[in-house]
Amino acid sequence: MPTITIYKDDFQSLLHQTPSANRTVAIEELEAWLMLAKGELKGYNHETGELRIELQDSNRPDLWCCEGIARQVRIKQQGQLTPYPFFSEASQSQMQIIVKPGIEQVRPYVAACAARGYRVTTEGLAQLIQTQEKLAEIFGHKRKTVSIGIYQLPKIKFPVTYALVKPDEARFTPLGMETVMTLSEILMVHPKGLEYGAILAGTGRLPILRDAANQPLSFPPIINSREIGEVQVGDDQLFVEVTGTDLPMVVLTLNIFASNLADRGATIEPIEVQYPRSTSLGKRVTTPLDLGKSKTIQIQKVEQALGQELGVHTVARALETYGYEVSAGKGSVKAKLPPYRQDLMHMMDVVEDVAMSLGYAEFTPVMPAQFTVGGLSDIEHMSDRARELMVGLGFQEIISNILGSPDSYSGRMRLEATEWGRMVEVDNVMSLSFSCLRQWILPSLLRVEAASSRAFYPHRLFEAGDVAIPDAAKELGSRTETILGAVIAHAAAHFSEIHSCLDVLCYYLGKEYSLETVQHPSFLEGRAGRIIVAGRPVGVIGELHPEVLERWQIAVPVVAFDLNLSQLLS
Amino acid sequence: MDISSAVIDSLHPLETKVLTTLGANPPEAVLNSEQLAAAAELEPSQLSMAVEWLLAKGLVTIQAETVTPVASLTKTGEEYHQSMSPIERVLAAARDAAGTGKRLTIPDLQSHDGLDPSDVSKAVGRLKKEGVLLIVQGGCIETTGRSSPTVEALKGLLRQLHESPRELKAFPEGDRRVIEDYAVKRGNAKEPFRIDERVTRAFMLSPSGANAAEQLLRQGVAEEVSQLSPDMLKDGSWRHKRFRKYTISLRAPRVGTGKKHPYREFLDTVKAKLVSMGFQEMRGSLVETEFWNMDALFMPQFHPARDIHDVYFVKDPTHASAMDESVLSHVAQVHQHGAETGSTGWGYSFDVQRAKRLVLRSQGTAVSARTLAAAPSIPGKYFSIARCFRYDQVDATHATDFFQVEGIVLGEDINFRTLLGLLNLFAREVAQAKEVKFSPAYFPFTEPSVELHVRHPRLGWMELGGAGLFRPEVTLPLGVTVPVIAWGLGLDRMAMVALGIHDIRELFTDNLELIRTTRGLF
Repeated sequence: MPTITIYKDDFQSLLHQTPSANRTVAIEELEAWLMLAKGELKGYNHETGELRIELQDSNRPDLWCCEGIARQVRIKQQGQLTPYPFFSEASQSQMQIIVKPGIEQVRPYVAACAARGYRVTTEGLAQLIQTQEKLAEIFGHKRKTVSIGIYQLPKIKFPVTYALVKPDEARFTPLGMETVMTLSEILMVHPKGLEYGAILAGTGRLPILRDAANQPLSFPPIINSREIGEVQVGDDQLFVEVTGTDLPMVVLTLNIFASNLADRGATIEPIEVQYPRSTSLGKRVTTPLDLGKSKTIQIQKVEQALGQELGVHTVARALETYGYEVSAGKGSVKAKLPPYRQDLMHMMDVVEDVAMSLGYAEFTPVMPAQFTVGGLSDIEHMSDRARELMVGLGFQEIISNILGSPDSYSGRMRLEATEWGRMVEVDNVMSLSFSCLRQWILPSLLRVEAASSRAFYPHRLFEAGDVAIPDAAKELGSRTETILGAVIAHAAAHFSEIHSCLDVLCYYLGKEYSLETVQHPSFLEGRAGRIIVAGRPVGVIGELHPEVLERWQIAVPVVAFDLNLSQLLS
Repeated sequence: MDISSAVIDSLHPLETKVLTTLGANPPEAVLNSEQLAAAAELEPSQLSMAVEWLLAKGLVTIQAETVTPVASLTKTGEEYHQSMSPIERVLAAARDAAGTGKRLTIPDLQSHDGLDPSDVSKAVGRLKKEGVLLIVQGGCIETTGRSSPTVEALKGLLRQLHESPRELKAFPEGDRRVIEDYAVKRGNAKEPFRIDERVTRAFMLSPSGANAAEQLLRQGVAEEVSQLSPDMLKDGSWRHKRFRKYTISLRAPRVGTGKKHPYREFLDTVKAKLVSMGFQEMRGSLVETEFWNMDALFMPQFHPARDIHDVYFVKDPTHASAMDESVLSHVAQVHQHGAETGSTGWGYSFDVQRAKRLVLRSQGTAVSARTLAAAPSIPGKYFSIARCFRYDQVDATHATDFFQVEGIVLGEDINFRTLLGLLNLFAREVAQAKEVKFSPAYFPFTEPSVELHVRHPRLGWMELGGAGLFRPEVTLPLGVTVPVIAWGLGLDRMAMVALGIHDIRELFTDNLELIRTTRGLF
């Protein structure tokens, strides 16, 4: 989840809002406060005051900015959230956005507001841009669901229209460019067009925001106009718009921006969006808009989940000091999220907020008291016994990756296009070295042998581990089984040497086995056997084919077995 | 005064042999190397080793050094012995010519097979001096019929010295002169004989050596041996033997060992701890459906971590051939609108086909989800040490293929405080930590969620794991109505420190020497 950069001075001034109350915050104190926001301090530069903070909660985009973290802490300190007036203002908006028919097929929703009276500072501008990027990128799925534009308000003549145009019908100078371009040119040439153009793929006409003078504001979700959409330090009248495909998410994103700008001292003026036909929020939607609904929370359920008696008052206070709007009842509270949040899906979400608001340290750990019997799975138990025996036989245990290359698991083993060479392969390959799951263990051991010609001989290696064997009869198309592989490598390694080890192993595992001659391409003909237990094949044993050794660049003879413990167990 | 028994006890059998051999002679007897070797029945190499050790210990002194010239054959000499010496060839050629009446000149001889010009002139000169040959008018060579003492002597000497080298003084005066005439000298390597100077040393016991020999002879009955044998045990003869004492401070020779892998050993101790705390092991499949890997865990299908860049997809088959349709549709409804769970759900349209997409398991929680759906014990505790795969660039801190240690705890008494209690237990049992800190955390499938920080006895404050109460959206559609803790432990850092490695890739190293020599300090 996002890691953001904020400045300590900026954070402090947002925390106290009034300069007179300003005081320096110790870094340890700040770290403790970050717990309220599920934030973790990743770095601090004493000289610049730069803080790097990772925010964990992917459902709390309001916390992915300096303003949001400061707000969460401030509410705790002040005892409640000072309500934002613009969410409840009944006054008619002076500014409108008119949505034209057709846009619902591409990017249906827009929300916007104006902000006056906050003069943009250097830090403020950096935060504005960072918040815009993090919200559009992560919350907005790389601008697909939500994207944001910020403009110089005085340059815009209302009403603004949101409509579809033909790709060459509109033109403007985009941010980062010197010349006027058509929308199709932007898609083909502009870096943002190349990066995000796929979102609009397959749509004949493209979305555009234009003002009453027909000046383009933006080509959402790609790029803003340079003339209107380039906010600078010193600007004190802003216009913010959010477009997207999910109305609640679009409104929430705007609510976050409005709250952030209000926290910095701006007066927020709502904007009315007029849709051609009714949306889930009606035909005329004035934003910012509080979409929160109250939820009745049974105190008993909260106490049960937290394992502690708290009472109505404590729960109500905890929620209030975490930003909720609360009214206490008998044995329950009615709680409503602040307008910049939308993450209340279940009562348990409220429970966590109660615990965070009170502080996890307020809860005394209690041991789960109910009795349970521990134990290993049958296969793990067998695998552990086999491992003990292999160690007793003088073998060194190995652990390897399961994800590897077809060359190791099949090619070098001379198994291409054979029944033994089938593997579970990866579709989205990043590197051939990690593109399939092993279907047996011997290649994992040969990997070590090939790298260890200088290691003191003899080499006796084993690994007991999982493999994936393709099997069309299974729902998942493969079986995960545990295999024990063993190799012996030295100048005079002989079949009978590994055979003796298999013999001992099977004896102590209590399995009667026999060997049947098999033609297996990895082994020398006439020196390879199928291991049969209870009439079923459970593995192979033999002397590795010189060509296999050559392909692995192994310079000593190697004898080996590969024994399927899962098959042995069943 | 007796020499210390420590010196006597540490004597090598060869040293004892030499000391007792010298000691068996009258006091102050002097024996040279050959005599000593013969008397002690030792090979010259054994003798010289033993004598060097005794000299170093001051038990034997060198009484005298004599230099003896010894004659032997050179390679050329061996050739002459096999065929003929040049002088013999010259004489034979001259006699041959006399018999057939042919003219023979020096140039004729020089072109003769196997003879080179310098050999010819030396041979002709010697034979002329002995009066065996004459040079007549026109440079013709004639024989006088006399025999050549040199030729005769050479034949005999080549034969004798072919058998073995001999001291020069063992030869009569005449032979000695021939050897000297035909010996390799500076600037003339092509001669049949070589005269070497053999140094013979004569030894006698030092006073302490005499003392040691006396003691050895006194205790003499007991034969010293180095190895106890089955025969000695069988016939009881070990009672009459003395066992040589070893220098036990020497470095031990290397031996091949069978050993568990240090990282596996670490995981084994974790496994044993979990079993001891009442956890039952769960196993799962390396290949999973997106359903069990993510959907069942209430991760919405639009969740950023479900992107193509985080999970490995299976190429063939791409989708599961069948699934439990009732669980599938139940989970789908919960994602869409929460169903009976009391949740609003994510409010999107769930793609059933996507749920069947096959992936490589990316989190051990998939195994827990399967357990929840398979009528687990209540109360119940489960764990798995599951191999998981992430679509990450491999580097020192990211492996594409790694173990996750995690599990679940189900029970009527499960709540936030018992969750903290369980984490306390892990901190104490797994990390031997006494101090813990809990902080709020986020996992898509738990609420509330906790991160566990512990003060490890050696590593200081570190994050040990994450946990939380499974959301009802996870448990209810899988048929579980009691609260469930989901927990996971991040143990790789602890393992790496215990194994002394700094790169996560080394956990699966192919370096056999490293694996063999790594000790886990758990």
